[in-house]
Amino acid sequence: MSQRRGTLHLLLPLLALMLLVTGCPKRPATTAASAPAPTASTVAPAPTPPSMQPAPAAPSTPSSPSMAAPATPAPATAAPATPPRPSEFAENANLRDVYFDFDKYDIRPDDAKTLDANAGWLKSNANNLVLIEGHCDERGTNEYNLALGERRAKATMNYLVSQGIQANRITIISYGKERPVCSEKNEACWQKNRRAHFLVKAR
Amino acid sequence: MSTPRRFAFTFAALLAAVALLLVPPPAARSQAPDVLLNVIAGGAKKLNLFVPDFTVTGAPDPAGLSRSLAEVTGNDLTFSTLFSVVSGQPPLPAGNPDAMQKAWTDAAAAGAHAALHVVVTPRSDRVEGEMRLYDLTSPQLRQIATKKFAVVPSEPRRLAHKIADEVVFQFTGELGDADTKIAFVALRAGAKEIYTMDYDGAAPVPLTANQSINLSPRWSPDARSLAFTSYMRGYPYLYRLFAFERRPVQLLAGFLGINSSPAWSPDGRQVALTLSKDGNPEIYVLTLATGAFRRLTTNPSIDTEPTWSPTGREIAFVSDRSGSAQVYVMDAEGANLRRLTQSGFNTQPRWSPKGDTIVYTSRQGSHDLWAVAPDGSALRRLTTGPGDNESAAWSPSGRHLAFQSNRLRGSKVFTMLPDGSEQQPIANAPADSASPAWSPRLP
Repeated sequence: MSQRRGTLHLLLPLLALMLLVTGCPKRPATTAASAPAPTASTVAPAPTPPSMQPAPAAPSTPSSPSMAAPATPAPATAAPATPPRPSEFAENANLRDVYFDFDKYDIRPDDAKTLDANAGWLKSNANNLVLIEGHCDERGTNEYNLALGERRAKATMNYLVSQGIQANRITIISYGKERPVCSEKNEACWQKNRRAHFLVKAR
Repeated sequence: MSTPRRFAFTFAALLAAVALLLVPPPAARSQAPDVLLNVIAGGAKKLNLFVPDFTVTGAPDPAGLSRSLAEVTGNDLTFSTLFSVVSGQPPLPAGNPDAMQKAWTDAAAAGAHAALHVVVTPRSDRVEGEMRLYDLTSPQLRQIATKKFAVVPSEPRRLAHKIADEVVFQFTGELGDADTKIAFVALRAGAKEIYTMDYDGAAPVPLTANQSINLSPRWSPDARSLAFTSYMRGYPYLYRLFAFERRPVQLLAGFLGINSSPAWSPDGRQVALTLSKDGNPEIYVLTLATGAFRRLTTNPSIDTEPTWSPTGREIAFVSDRSGSAQVYVMDAEGANLRRLTQSGFNTQPRWSPKGDTIVYTSRQGSHDLWAVAPDGSALRRLTTGPGDNESAAWSPSGRHLAFQSNRLRGSKVFTMLPDGSEQQPIANAPADSASPAWSPRLP
């Protein structure tokens, strides 16, 4: 295990570098950055038979703030840390939301400026981890919006990485249409809900 | 399971009988129940089934099972759309063939085609029920089926449901949908929890109480467990809970990103799901015995919402690879992809138990349910508002669909027939409920 983790430590910066080279805010270059990373063993709510665990996966991913281990039914202490729980992150007024067109996950040109400013703050506050939440409006169905919110958070993350933010400082989460900030049925309200939202946590 | 003994007369004979009934019946005997006459005067193409209140023997009936269980069975049979049920008549006295003969003769004279007699015997550890079905169109009022059931005392309604399913079986060769549950997502105090209830809305019970977001309940084919997505540990992971056992929740998939949209393979050995661990939402198949994940889609777009064909050979799913969400079909290895829907924004495909239909949700302003054959033919619209009508779930027989609609106040679970007719809210279903999942027949 320790040998493997050592290799991963070497791999991580390499992967982040690949992201820097290939990252593109308009067309997320996720293939270069992505590798599976199960986070199962420490979140299992109860002992589970090994057959129910996600299979051990390939080396870590830049979107993980820490290394992930092969899943085992062992106690949580046996595994390295998983991403911090979302509840550990807090609001920060310096990081502004960005918004998306209906059923889209491209970063709009005007929102790129917002993300540049967010990236600037993150650079000068390097001790902060960031959680990017992807959200959708109420139109469309729950499961599709879960995927759409994931794409929005990922596109936002990729843009920040392209601006020099280390991928291993960033965690993403999709809430789909489950956490709207506005509940009226009109475009002004829907636009407020189609957003990527930022939370931070000191390392 | 007993062999179905088809009812004596053919469909043509039934039509003839119904045609006769459209003529006002001759002055029936004075003893004939008025309510029976009223139903017959309605003249639908259904079997007129006489269901007197159940006969309770061996114990007093303080809970009123005689009337309440007969009502449940009667409602089940009405819901099946196969019968015009005449109920609300007093129970037959136990062990009195003459009284039964007279009751059946009167019912037949008033137009009933069949009669159901149930004897309920409450015991200390179970409630027993024996059903007997009679053909009132035969000269001797022939008994055409009998079967015994037993349920635990805490679930007497299941006895009524099982009897109704057996009656449907005797007339169609396939069990009815009554002895089933519907799981759903309920908005409770700002959280979304998974509940289950009888298919008719009775006895809602929470299955989760973690005060987070729980989504997409899907019954395993053995009707013992549900896969679902939950934020109970902060991130959207996929879990499995056991609905009727004291067993801990199991984690099925806890990768970075989304772990969502479960779909059980027909044999229950695999779960198709959506994972974004490799960068964007893709369809995978989890083999439960090994914990191995097999990736089926490889596309930079969204791929999600898998649904298996009943043969297990194909999977329909949603992808926005064309620029908008559409339903596609591939084989269970991920090959032989074809696009099924052509225009609009289409999600939530649900393959029918018989395999001949895929129902899905189409957004054109609001959401409505559509159906299409797996080869793309026979496209038809099932709902036309009002409000949003989405998230369909097939009953085990495929003769009904549950769905969520906000046409009334708030979101509620409705049912309809697969041709879109008979849309109705589940009467007793809780408010603010959505995403129904209809269980297979209960074990």
